[in-house]
Amino acid sequence: MAKPRPVPGIDPHRRIRPNARRILAVRIDEVWSYEPFVADPNAVRELHDMRIACKRLRYLLEIFAVAFADDLEPFIDEVKDLQDLLGEIHDRDVQVPMLAEHLEELREHGDVAARRLVAQERRTRVNGGSVSEASYRSFRRRLDAWSRADQRPGIEALLARRRQERDALYARFLGEWARLRDEGFRARLEDVLGIG
Amino acid sequence: MAKAWEVHGLQGDLRFEEAAGRVILTRWREMMSFREGTLAGEDIEELHAMRVSSRRLRAAMDAFADAFPSRPFKRRLKRVKEITDTLGDARDLDVAVEGLEAILPEMAPEERPGIEALIAEYRDRRADENRHIVALFERLDAEGFADDFERWVARRTGVTVEELDPQPPARH
Repeated sequence: MAKPRPVPGIDPHRRIRPNARRILAVRIDEVWSYEPFVADPNAVRELHDMRIACKRLRYLLEIFAVAFADDLEPFIDEVKDLQDLLGEIHDRDVQVPMLAEHLEELREHGDVAARRLVAQERRTRVNGGSVSEASYRSFRRRLDAWSRADQRPGIEALLARRRQERDALYARFLGEWARLRDEGFRARLEDVLGIG
Repeated sequence: MAKAWEVHGLQGDLRFEEAAGRVILTRWREMMSFREGTLAGEDIEELHAMRVSSRRLRAAMDAFADAFPSRPFKRRLKRVKEITDTLGDARDLDVAVEGLEAILPEMAPEERPGIEALIAEYRDRRADENRHIVALFERLDAEGFADDFERWVARRTGVTVEELDPQPPARH
């Protein structure tokens, strides 16, 4: 996680507003420093860091809102929406590799269990066990029970679902970011804060 | 999500350090108001509210970091971060279980065992997290962290928690 950049020139004995302006100017710049990575869907770490930067900015706007004459609520809402969207993307970026790893383990264990069941049946027959209809039905019952308990289809379905969600969320994020850029969001925010 | 407590006397013309004391002590008391409910473990919303409040407290500490000398500030911020992170681990599992339970009815019968096994695993891990939460608060109590935190903020900002008297929002 990227650490917040230090803010020079803070004087605790002065009033909130001049200090808040300095802090907010740096934190706004931090959010926009990730703009070069926005178009890259594989920039997982940078998108996560961008979310943290949005979170810091949002909380600061909430805390320092009292020091500014303009209503900051619409700006806070936009930053919060962006933070939430990036948070949803991050959740999938964490879940997808975990589920893929879990599935891989299940596949290994599943193969072992299936081989064990077949080998058990083969031993029964080699040792003179009957190949009767009843014996076959018993084998099928055990095979079906093993199949019903198989966790892999559920994890495969969940993994596919999370990947689809990630794609859809990222597409939404791109749209939202483009909209904010087109609407001159950063310039408007800096303007109401008296920055620049 | 639990509503943030109002910060008494917070006005735009306050000095930065006084605003720091008012906001941080309010967020501190807000967070601690959910402590007993969280430790009781009967309602997952208590833990959620405490975690949200702890994040508000951390944000306030980040915002006003320059009102405090660096080293003692970082020591206390680290403790608050421990609270947020410990609660966060438990909350993530609560959310994961809720999410999986919500999609379970939509899954085909052959897909359910995998999801049910995952829910069971998350529940086991969640039980472990409860033990971590209890252990963390026992440690903080042994250190006398709550008293130390309130006195330290008061010393640095001139705002005492008794004078500030933070209160939860009125319920309608």
